[in-house]
Amino acid sequence: MTPFTQETEKLFYRLIDNANVLVLYFDVDGRVCICNKRIGQISAKKREELIGENWFNLLFHGQGQAMKQQMFKALMDDSITYKRPNNFEGLILDKDNNERLISWSITPILTESKNLEGILLIGNDITELREREASLKKIDETLKNIFASIKEYALFVINLEGNITYYGMGSEMLFGWQKQEIIFKHISALFTEEDAKTKLPLLLEQVKQSGKYETEIELVKKDSSSFPVILSASQFLDTEGKLTGYIFITKDITERKKLEYQIFQAEKLAAIGQLAAGMAHEINNPLFVISGRLEMLLEQERISEKLKEDLGIINTQADRIRKLVDRLLKFSRQTTPKFEAININDSIEGVLPLLSYYKLPDAKIEMIKDFAKDLPPIKGDLNQLQEVFINLFLNAHQAMPQGGKLTVKTSNLQNQYAEVRISDTGCGIALQNLKNIFMPFFSTKKGGTGLGLSICYNIIKNHNGSIDIESQVNKGTTFIIKLPCA
Amino acid sequence: MSYKVLVVDDEAPARDLFNDLLQKENCTVSCVATGEEALDIIQKEDFDVVLLDIKLPGISGLEALKKIKDLKPNIIVIMITGFGYDEALIAKSKEYGCSGYIGKNMTITQIMTSFRFFTKTAQEKRKNSPKKSIHDYTD
Repeated sequence: MTPFTQETEKLFYRLIDNANVLVLYFDVDGRVCICNKRIGQISAKKREELIGENWFNLLFHGQGQAMKQQMFKALMDDSITYKRPNNFEGLILDKDNNERLISWSITPILTESKNLEGILLIGNDITELREREASLKKIDETLKNIFASIKEYALFVINLEGNITYYGMGSEMLFGWQKQEIIFKHISALFTEEDAKTKLPLLLEQVKQSGKYETEIELVKKDSSSFPVILSASQFLDTEGKLTGYIFITKDITERKKLEYQIFQAEKLAAIGQLAAGMAHEINNPLFVISGRLEMLLEQERISEKLKEDLGIINTQADRIRKLVDRLLKFSRQTTPKFEAININDSIEGVLPLLSYYKLPDAKIEMIKDFAKDLPPIKGDLNQLQEVFINLFLNAHQAMPQGGKLTVKTSNLQNQYAEVRISDTGCGIALQNLKNIFMPFFSTKKGGTGLGLSICYNIIKNHNGSIDIESQVNKGTTFIIKLPCA
Repeated sequence: MSYKVLVVDDEAPARDLFNDLLQKENCTVSCVATGEEALDIIQKEDFDVVLLDIKLPGISGLEALKKIKDLKPNIIVIMITGFGYDEALIAKSKEYGCSGYIGKNMTITQIMTSFRFFTKTAQEKRKNSPKKSIHDYTD
């Protein structure tokens, strides 16, 4: 090795001082022999002060003395054993007492006889780089959190072939499919069979043409159940603006649809009620005259038996109209219930003896009462509620001409609602009839006016409660009434 | 018991029916079609009972009731309603001093029984406490 001339030493220092890295060389005892200007610039110590110092005082900022020794030993041992370059990151303290993170590259320098002579460290200040990385990571995590927190929406992307390439943000929750189950499958798996054939191609064409498309549609969950969503689709373009697929954002609107249906149903019933009231009044007037005249005629003694019989038939039929009109008026009447605190169990008990006044099918019906003992009182109109119970009991009886079980169960729903379930084991109601069951004039019973349940519906609604029905053909029907507690 | 009765109903066939029914009860019956006509005739003639339809063209049955009672506190007024039993209307009528109501959805027998009952109770009350205000006859 040629010894350094003064010239080469100058050149050497000029070179390492101008390099945009930290250069440090120390001997096997850890004493600093060479360091460049950058170290002096960055660290709190000048180059002159550093020469001869223990290197680890400089490099391992923030560590205790014992720890520094240990780390130094590990580093030395590693270098002695493997005699190959290595890397580590460490903090040093700068002039302003701020910590700087340096990535060091360690090169053991060996003598000709392959003994360790010293260690060369080349360091890069990566403080800002790490800060940027950390903040990017934070943004990434925040975005992930935001997406994970969105529950009502699902976002997924398909490629031009229609295969799902991204399945994120609420999708798993909305559809029930796990990502690994559905990714790269065709999007038609999320549509009903019918829609996948007709609406889906049309929808994609629309997005292709106009960039975006929004519609209300039924999608399908993993368990094959369908549910209504608002589906918004838009083009997915790459950085050059080329169409590479479609982005879908969907929102589950099951609850909204339910509410809309209830409002629609209530408005429809109110309109029918108004019509019924007007009609009933108009019918009552002439009917009153017809029945009145008939009754007067029937009181006459001179008329023949045959005429009397005929008039009697007319009278019976007029009477039928009158009863129907009465039911109509009852249905339409929007009388505010007279609220008092009512124990539902007692009010049900109260109507049971009344059932014997009605002509019930001659069948053996077992009555099962399962009353909650802790049922809180509700606010209600006793007469009106008892009318509801009578109606439902009569319906249950009529549904079981061959006999069966009639169960009435009350429960306390967290002291918020009292629930009454009236179940029969009768003929049940077909699915297509269920949605009309509370509509006036809708009846599946021979000779029914179709007003009973619509009156029940109105009464429960006026009590701020709800009435629902569950039914299976040939298995039975359950009416579920929920009334707010007093 | 024979009463002098005024029937107020805008429907002629209904008026005629009431007329015939009440005549059978030995009542003397007059019929008018509106509340205005009723107020007019009440100022000229004395009646024991007024059968007054709640739904009338012009001034309503309720208004007519109030005015009739203001003019002749002793007249027994029975409201006629085509609506069946309407709690709110009945309550209001009672407040204005009617003695009862008859629904057009009742049978003739029921109507005449009600008529007899309301007139009888109203008269008995009047006999028992002649100095009380009209509102005491109203329930």
